[in-house]
Amino acid sequence: MLPKSVIEELRRIVGRESVIDAPNDLRIFERDGSIEGAMPDAVVLASSTEHVSAVIKVAARHHIPVVPRGAGTGLSGGAVTIRGGIALQVTRMRRILEIDQVAMTALVEPGVVNQELSLVAAQHGLFYAPDPSSQKACTIGGNAAENSGGPHCLYYGVTTNHVLGMEVVLADGSVHWVSGDAPDHVGLDLCGVLVGSEGTLCAITKIKVRLLRIPPSIATLLAAFTSIESASQAVSAVIGHGIVPAALEMMDNVTVGAVEAHYHAGYPTDAGAVLLVEVDGIAESTRELTAAISKILADNHGYAMREAQTPAERELLWAGRKGAIGALGRIKPNYYLHDGVVPRSRLPQVLSAVGEIGEHYKLPVANVFHAGDGNLHPNILFDLRDRDVLHQVEAAGEEMLRAVVELGGALSGEHGIGLEKSAFMPWIYSEDDLDAMHRVKDVFDAAGILNPGKIFPDPSRKPVHLAGRTGLAIEAKWW
Amino acid sequence: MVVTKPAVEKPATAEELARRLHEAADAKLAVIPVGGGRASGMGNPVERADVLLHTTHLDRVIEHSQSDMVVSVEAGIALDALQAHLAKAGQFLPLDPFHSPGHTIGGLLATGWTGPLRFRYGSPRDFLIGIRVAMPDGKLASGGGRVVKNVSGYDMMKLHYGALGSLGVIVAASFKVFPKPLHDVTVANDGGWEAADEALSTPLAPSAVELSSDGRVLARFLGSPEAVDRVVSGLEWDEADSAVWEKHSRSGPEKWARIAIPRSGLRRIVETLPQRDRWWASPGVGVAHWAIGADSSVVRGIREKAEAAGGTLVMLAAPDDFMREVGAWGAAPPTIDIMRRLKKAFDPDGILNPGRYVV
Repeated sequence: MLPKSVIEELRRIVGRESVIDAPNDLRIFERDGSIEGAMPDAVVLASSTEHVSAVIKVAARHHIPVVPRGAGTGLSGGAVTIRGGIALQVTRMRRILEIDQVAMTALVEPGVVNQELSLVAAQHGLFYAPDPSSQKACTIGGNAAENSGGPHCLYYGVTTNHVLGMEVVLADGSVHWVSGDAPDHVGLDLCGVLVGSEGTLCAITKIKVRLLRIPPSIATLLAAFTSIESASQAVSAVIGHGIVPAALEMMDNVTVGAVEAHYHAGYPTDAGAVLLVEVDGIAESTRELTAAISKILADNHGYAMREAQTPAERELLWAGRKGAIGALGRIKPNYYLHDGVVPRSRLPQVLSAVGEIGEHYKLPVANVFHAGDGNLHPNILFDLRDRDVLHQVEAAGEEMLRAVVELGGALSGEHGIGLEKSAFMPWIYSEDDLDAMHRVKDVFDAAGILNPGKIFPDPSRKPVHLAGRTGLAIEAKWW
Repeated sequence: MVVTKPAVEKPATAEELARRLHEAADAKLAVIPVGGGRASGMGNPVERADVLLHTTHLDRVIEHSQSDMVVSVEAGIALDALQAHLAKAGQFLPLDPFHSPGHTIGGLLATGWTGPLRFRYGSPRDFLIGIRVAMPDGKLASGGGRVVKNVSGYDMMKLHYGALGSLGVIVAASFKVFPKPLHDVTVANDGGWEAADEALSTPLAPSAVELSSDGRVLARFLGSPEAVDRVVSGLEWDEADSAVWEKHSRSGPEKWARIAIPRSGLRRIVETLPQRDRWWASPGVGVAHWAIGADSSVVRGIREKAEAAGGTLVMLAAPDDFMREVGAWGAAPPTIDIMRRLKKAFDPDGILNPGRYVV
């Protein structure tokens, strides 16, 4: 509970109706897309940079935690107010301020929905490349805070590669522009450090992003494989031939079954795994690449291959992939999704470990992931109404991440560390590594009011005791 | 004034380098990290130089996973040596900096120097996936990892990329590498800015377009053979030997500057450069390099125009006196206070490259 006087201060900034503090109303801000929740003391609906700045000044003065929040679709607990305080909602800041067709850039407010930006940009023949599966709902501000990815990041790169500059509000309420349109800047790359900082260093109030020309030709291929192993082989073979497709996605048998039942996209339900491959460019190059990829997939035991013949068919194939997690609701009502990333060649090993862990805990696991990047997304499926299941789910997730790390991987490819993975950070970073990151945190937010309890391990929270399952020791760090 | 020659240290391991750095910091000695020395003219003349800390003995490829298309190297490895290593696997790092050959990887990361291929592949900022840095307190801190996509913790790669060794000395780095393109064709034309625009607007975007002050345009197309051939034949330019790129990358005059500007404003600035001076530009990126023949007041004037257009003019090399007159960097960014605090957090006594960088 915040003191009444603080609530009044906040109301004077954003207006009476834009501060929520009734417990029942707060409940919808308790969670993001992950499984752990915590109630904020108040939600402030900001409409402008001035609002964000003034709210943070109040929070700084009273030492109240502030957690910037977009659409709340994040999957690592980044928007969860674990220490209470203010959830600073920016979804009312949703204007596309400018699209510059010549410079191929857009200036947007943080609450602009990812897909909306691409739809508007399409009127100019342009698109915004990072495309998280939640793009129908997630915001550009949230994407920048988390450095989000998406299927097409294999070729085009993740959010940080597309953010040119940002307007940010720091922990003292001061407003700054970092970087901008020029290709090089003088001084330290603050923009690069702030993208992906998960709301722990700043609140983002404007984002300048790069747009790309919509490719004139797109080809989307589907191929079935008898097993995840053989599909993984095919992925390595494609990349090994010097071809980097725009997207290279895999779904396992469990996922394909759920997706097909829901979308009727024509996925082969008997397959052990399905690959979705997309190439784009001019017609000549997509034709050549499609032929080359088809041959490689066939040589690697791909079957039931088909190419989307119409844009509608392509849309349907992608709807199945991007809606996969929702479709899994047919199996169990809840899911727990990790996004560890391994060197691509370790995919078969890590997936067999994931399967083993699922069996051990008697939990169904559905895999749907960015195979080209080595970024897995095991969905542990469960029913929250089952007694004690949550503990089992968390333990299984932890073991899966442990396997990822033992195989030389990282904790998160695109979802962020947030709340759920902070305890595992010492698996991949030494004390000195974390100390360097802490120095950055202290420079930006010495008082620790911005999204406290995230990224850095909090020893009081969660004991980490599980041994590995791959039989490998964690390699001596990175070097 | 008594000028003593700085001590030269060439540690053989990252741990030893960190130890030397720590010892120097304890003694408040000024440390100048040195890689290949190709960019040693960048920045303001240092205020003090007690120890030249060379990375050149840290020159190993730590691990190259061909199938993962990831390479980890020590920072002192020469770019050319790394490219030769990667070429054996049909791969490469899309980095072709000017004033080549002889750059080390650490030097390129610290300076942020790039070349023509930046248009297609971006800069190392985009494909650097892990970093290890020695800090003045003797600690070795890593960030990122060896996977191509990673949001585990803060992006420490961005903190050190282009920071000119001001926060620490880069001792190792990991990169996403790229397959050698299936087809690689370069064409040339003497049509100046208009020709460059023509190349930039072809349906298959070129991978590099370079324009020189004599009006010569080089355009490089990489990709699948049929597509490249169609676009190249549509342009009807003369085919050029791909060796022109190596020659181009050797450019590195005694006195030169880099102008970086939102690309739609590049031509307007470059056209105000003195007629006699040589320059070359990447119009698709918004970067021009200027071989300065004019005096310092002209440079300051051009810088004013660049800054007014939202860009920068950074000196890459010049005699010390000239560098002092012009200043290496120009106007301090509005966020300079934050940068100073970061400097203080990593190098509290200011022993790394004192006076050379922005902070």
